Amino acid sequence: MHRLAPLAKLLLTMLYILVTVSFNKYDITGLFVMVLFPVVGYQFSFIPIRTCFYKLRIVMPLVCAVGLFNPFFDKNILFYVGNIGFSGGVISMVTLMMKGIFCLMASFLLVATTRIEEICRALRQLHFPKMLTSLLLLTYRYISVLLDEVSVMTVAYHLRAPGQKGIHVSAWGSFLGQLILRSMDRAENLYDSMLLRGFHGEFTYAEGRNSSRHGAIVFICCAILIMLVRLYNLPAILTSLFI
Amino acid sequence: MLDFNNVTYSYPGGEPALNGISFHISDGEQIGLIGANGAGKSTLMKAALGLIGVQGTITACGLQMNKQNLSQIRKHLGYVLQNSDNQMFMPTVIEDMIFGPVNYGMSREEAEKVADKTLAQLGMEHLRDRHNHRMSGGEKRMAAIATILAMEPKLMLMDEPSAALDPRNRRILIDMLNQLPVTKIIASHDLDMILETCDRVILINDGQIVADGDTLTVLSNKTLLENNNLELPFCLAGIPMKKRPKMQ
Repeated sequence: MHRLAPLAKLLLTMLYILVTVSFNKYDITGLFVMVLFPVVGYQFSFIPIRTCFYKLRIVMPLVCAVGLFNPFFDKNILFYVGNIGFSGGVISMVTLMMKGIFCLMASFLLVATTRIEEICRALRQLHFPKMLTSLLLLTYRYISVLLDEVSVMTVAYHLRAPGQKGIHVSAWGSFLGQLILRSMDRAENLYDSMLLRGFHGEFTYAEGRNSSRHGAIVFICCAILIMLVRLYNLPAILTSLFI
Repeated sequence: MLDFNNVTYSYPGGEPALNGISFHISDGEQIGLIGANGAGKSTLMKAALGLIGVQGTITACGLQMNKQNLSQIRKHLGYVLQNSDNQMFMPTVIEDMIFGPVNYGMSREEAEKVADKTLAQLGMEHLRDRHNHRMSGGEKRMAAIATILAMEPKLMLMDEPSAALDPRNRRILIDMLNQLPVTKIIASHDLDMILETCDRVILINDGQIVADGDTLTVLSNKTLLENNNLELPFCLAGIPMKKRPKMQ
């Protein structure tokens, strides 16, 4: 994966996400096969899957919570396992969770194996607006600075408000206001710095790895496999072969 | 190299931050810009870079500054900001270093060569592919200077370059500044550093030039400095000692 051209990786990830979210909300068996792609990708990239879950531990629960209320709205029983009936709501909730987790896994794989400049360059090759790619690049660079700023402000608050858990609601406004003011100040300085170095609205990105024949074959094979999985319900076919 | 002729600037609704400033800086001069907080040092730097619109005329690199030739002038100016995080916006050092040259028309390969050469001159090759957000304060400061040097500027302006540096990094910075073969304007409260790196000092107060002359002459004038809310550099004042009560 690390050696694949950034554009190919980006296209594959986009295709994977599009195909994954396109599954019907009750098509849990068809969707289940989609887990293979990120899992195989992690193996080839020598990245432990637990790293993905660890890094995304804050986002994952949010994604999983998306379909949490489905069981209350869709109570129509779809099938029984023994005496236990599974409603459409439960199935769609699990499907939504799976879709979210798979998409996050695929996105993390892309980010973990591709530098941000390469992703931005690939996005520009796909004619994404330059404003969005610039925003992505600067967000990546400055998210840590912003978090540092938040951390410093939080420490400063707690040192003068001992025994308080979190930040009191009455201070939220000024806390956020300060953060915004500081960010604006920084943004102004940053823009000055860009202007002084000849910025004219577009970042120039490093030449990424070009597609090799090997890369092209991997890309085509993966794309075909993803489309096959979407068009044919492989678990159902396999089941019908053996039962 | 740089000429200020009766330059005046006021922030909206405020007192004049620059009040009839005039001076001339020749090629190769090393200028220390000193003054108390709010004296107008940073505003003067911004004016020199064309970041604020002023009354009066500024001539840089032989061109009288106006909106049309601003980018042509800025090509020859390098500005090192006080906060390196504000300056280094690209993910890695090398990307940051080639940002300016590429924007000014250099090919990427050529820009990388210049960047590598600059890093080698500064002995900072190990920082080449480092992520900007994973460097120490000292490394960031050095890398920020390297990003400006990669633009091969004729005039470098630096805002508090030694701020937040530990003594060792400060020493490295001073040595580096003394080796740079470009015209420099260094705005700083670190008068000892100014003494070591500059051959001329401009002292400003309330947006006006109070003194302009040889570094040692200005920085050894205790009355002048104290009248302008400054103090003698430590090396000229002697070792400061904490006043302790006498033991009985």
